[in-house]
Amino acid sequence: MYRLLLVLCFFFAHPIFAQSLTEIVEKHQPNILKGSVKTAAPIIADIQAVGTEAATEFLTNWQDKALWFIKETGQIVSVVTDDKKTYQLIDIETGTLVTELAKKDIKQIKPNSGLRKMLGSALVTGKLLSPQKEIRLAGVDALIRDPKASHLDPLRVALEAEADIELKGIMDRAERQLTIQFDDLEVARVAAIESFSNDLSVEARGTLNPLLSNKIMLADLVPEDANIKGPITPGSEALTYEDAFDLLVAAEKATPVPTNAEIASILEANIENDTIAGFALADMSDADTRIKAYLALADAGKALAFDPNATIADLVADHEFIAVYVETSKAVTDAASNALDQINAKVGFSRFIDLALDGVSLASIYFLAAIGLAITFGVMRVINMAHGEFIMMGAYTGFVVQQIIPNYTVSIILAVPLAFAVTFAAGVAMERLVIRHLYHRPLETLLATFGISIALQQIAKNIFGTQARPLTAPGWLDGSLVINEVIQISWIRIAIFVLSLLFLLLLLFILNKTRLGLETRAVTQNPRMAASMGINPDRINMLTFGLGSGIAGIAGVAIGLYAKVTSELGADYIVQSFMTVVVGGVGNIWGTLAGATMIGFLQKGIEWFNPSNTLAAQTYMIIFIIIFIQFRPRGIIALKGRAAGD
Amino acid sequence: MKKLLLSSALIAASAGTAMAEIKVGILHSLSGTMAISETTLKDTMLMLIEQQNAKGGLLGEKLVPVVVDPASDWPLFAEKARELLTVHEVDVIFGNWTSVSRKSVLPVIEELNGLLFYPVQYEGEESSKNVFYTGAAPNQQAIPATDYYLEELGVEKFALLGTDYVYPRTTNKILEQYLKDSGIAADDIFVNYTPFGHSDWSKIVADVVALGEDGKKVGVISTINGDANIGFYKELAAAGVSADDIPVVAFSVGEEELAGLDTTNLVGHLAAWNYFQSADAEANTSFIDAWKDTMGAERVTNDPMEAHYIGFNMWVNAATAAGTTDVDAVRDAMYGQEFPNLTGGTAVMLPNHHLAKPVLIGEIQEDGQFDIISQTAEVPGDAWTDFLPESAVLKSDWKELGCGMFNTETNTCVQLKSNY
Repeated sequence: MYRLLLVLCFFFAHPIFAQSLTEIVEKHQPNILKGSVKTAAPIIADIQAVGTEAATEFLTNWQDKALWFIKETGQIVSVVTDDKKTYQLIDIETGTLVTELAKKDIKQIKPNSGLRKMLGSALVTGKLLSPQKEIRLAGVDALIRDPKASHLDPLRVALEAEADIELKGIMDRAERQLTIQFDDLEVARVAAIESFSNDLSVEARGTLNPLLSNKIMLADLVPEDANIKGPITPGSEALTYEDAFDLLVAAEKATPVPTNAEIASILEANIENDTIAGFALADMSDADTRIKAYLALADAGKALAFDPNATIADLVADHEFIAVYVETSKAVTDAASNALDQINAKVGFSRFIDLALDGVSLASIYFLAAIGLAITFGVMRVINMAHGEFIMMGAYTGFVVQQIIPNYTVSIILAVPLAFAVTFAAGVAMERLVIRHLYHRPLETLLATFGISIALQQIAKNIFGTQARPLTAPGWLDGSLVINEVIQISWIRIAIFVLSLLFLLLLLFILNKTRLGLETRAVTQNPRMAASMGINPDRINMLTFGLGSGIAGIAGVAIGLYAKVTSELGADYIVQSFMTVVVGGVGNIWGTLAGATMIGFLQKGIEWFNPSNTLAAQTYMIIFIIIFIQFRPRGIIALKGRAAGD
Repeated sequence: MKKLLLSSALIAASAGTAMAEIKVGILHSLSGTMAISETTLKDTMLMLIEQQNAKGGLLGEKLVPVVVDPASDWPLFAEKARELLTVHEVDVIFGNWTSVSRKSVLPVIEELNGLLFYPVQYEGEESSKNVFYTGAAPNQQAIPATDYYLEELGVEKFALLGTDYVYPRTTNKILEQYLKDSGIAADDIFVNYTPFGHSDWSKIVADVVALGEDGKKVGVISTINGDANIGFYKELAAAGVSADDIPVVAFSVGEEELAGLDTTNLVGHLAAWNYFQSADAEANTSFIDAWKDTMGAERVTNDPMEAHYIGFNMWVNAATAAGTTDVDAVRDAMYGQEFPNLTGGTAVMLPNHHLAKPVLIGEIQEDGQFDIISQTAEVPGDAWTDFLPESAVLKSDWKELGCGMFNTETNTCVQLKSNY
């Protein structure tokens, strides 16, 4: 009934008091076209004051970039189009067809995201009561992004009426957030603040932190009813001596210390017959004389006096400074500071866990990139500089498969064995054609494989171009596993972790439990003896090298999924891979795992200390590793005895 | 004997044609890392020259392109520039992309008094007598984008993320000072540099998200270069950060870079340029049509292409006005040259060898194009930034002062050569 009355009121009041929507829009036309946050507030208020459905529709269309204007007349309309060539123009007020025009005669009005946020915030009330769940959700989203005191009551009404459990939860949280900021009742605010004390989200901290904003005042000036945080000693981080002195000056408890330039200009202004206040102009090159002259001038009332011997620290020492909360309610600030203490303790712990997870993830990526090398370099002792290019070949195989098969899940499942096949073949070919002839000549192997790596990179550039190619993960790998608001890790990284774990197990199995593994170990330890036992070293070398290369190919698919596919992809990982194998200990899969773990965690740890320069973090890590290698030249897990091979 | 006759005839023929032709040097990498970007510019130049020849050439003579390939090898740029000027004796050069390649060409072009049109947005702090900078200076890209953040989006906390090389470092240095001057506290500016092609973004994205914990609106200004962008945007999306929560404005991501990429993760994020393909203007439509006719329907246009379009046409008009292609005469005729740019409005060549151009801010859409949401009036390019104390006193004016590095405090020309 009440609402009906209200609507009736509007209905009758509208033609008398308010302008029509068309008039208002016409009046503000230039600013609507320009669409700036600076000019939008009065326009939105005017249009909302119209109160008709068409006005709400207009604001919604404005927010959705669905308003256009006719280039010739400047009239603002909404449009309907079937073929995107001719457009039917709809009057914003009456909803009737104005005319039909071609695309080139009209232009879309595109509000920026700041303005869209404002419009969204203005439309919140209507959206919250919408029968559609998506619109209500959009309403709450808009409200959280730009909270206003006027949103509190409609939100509470909507919360009461909400049937959807999930949405009710979101609304309840938003309601508590708004309560903290805008409610008049201290009890309600304190209760809402306490309800957030287990909430680790950035929004919760973003709501609570501003409650504790404070300003530092001179003790004598603090009003009696102020909400005092506590005394502040000058010279601390919160209040430097300079800032404290500025406060004194602002309160007229001290005179500002003149700068050298100020002294000079006052001295210059008072030159009389080659003297200043009785001091000869020629002596003015001496700093002490200048100050004496200045003080003499100050005595004569021509300048502001100051004490040249006192430091700022002395000057502020006699005064007390107090930090005062901007928020006037002590109960609220106490609750907020308690809640934040609890949150921060948990956030600190969660950050540590998150960093550790990042470390694990990076370690698994390095491990996956290096595990192929652990076989070819670690077991066979072939320095294969083209290992990175096998990773790249695997990634490009994934890209090509995705071009042919559009279903991302199927294409990835297919890409993994295909990448293995392609790089296995490439590895075998390289072993047969080049490396076989260079066994036990590490320097030549290094040079030859380095040359191959450059050639492979250029071939990739010629085929695929130098622009990065996308390798898109299937939908079920999108997003993150969210443990809490701070600890989250993307599913792709988890998938890489699982993949590297699988390969660790697979390789351990192959090397320790299969005939191929036994023969490989035999050939690497003593090829002649192995040959005498009926093992064909040529064949074993070829297969082992192929296996290592094939695994690099699969690593390429995984790395391409989480980053990008370029011809330089392999080069980015080759140094890290060698480092991983060498640090971990050559010739041992467990060593590679240890190496990857150490490098991954070290990198993350250094990044944590020095967040502003990731490149520097990598440099520090390499320095650390150089030192580490000095003390443990055989790596973390060193082979002993005959297995060491020397 | 026959051979000798033939060769002397060839020499005579080439000498004869040299008189009736105007040579235009094109110095863009056609192989190596930068090939993908620079080949497009070479094709743009060939198209423009062909169009000009169809209109009757220049000064009654035919324009002949001389294309060389510096192969993304910075020292080779200097060699190739020397070859263009001394062997081919070109009248003008259009070329370069990276700042390091431009720095490599500068001494050659100043020694031989050549003329170079440089079409890419760059870090400023340079003004050579022999170079016209048709791309954006920092005040034509970075500063307006920052203003947009401050005024329209209400950003209170800034993350300046960049790749570790000269352009991001110089730009961020200018921006940091500018933000401080605009009243942003030093604690509210987070700066991070990553290596080329960086892919491990989880920690950095987490750091950026955590910036919002004191309730302030966070915005990212990205000078991240090339491929590294992909991993960065992927990680942002994985962390559930939308452009409405934390917007990212990029200075090195354009249509060409977005072409063929999966843009779902990028929708709503921003880029600032002087030109977008989506600009609604007649000149732009016919430029895009001509480009697609020559190169294929799937090709896109971008900002450096527009810069070449303006630069080339200005050079043609200046040479026509001067009645010669002589470098000094053309240079004098260049000042004040006006040419309609593709986004509507007019570009003007200033005495500091930079253009006055509008600044556009676009939101990335699903189809890899940009929705232009802000377009300023023409902004005059500033060779020396006003926001760093050491360069605020410097001024470039080749027309009146004849100096590219003029100290306005001491009223002296610091130096003429740009070997800084």
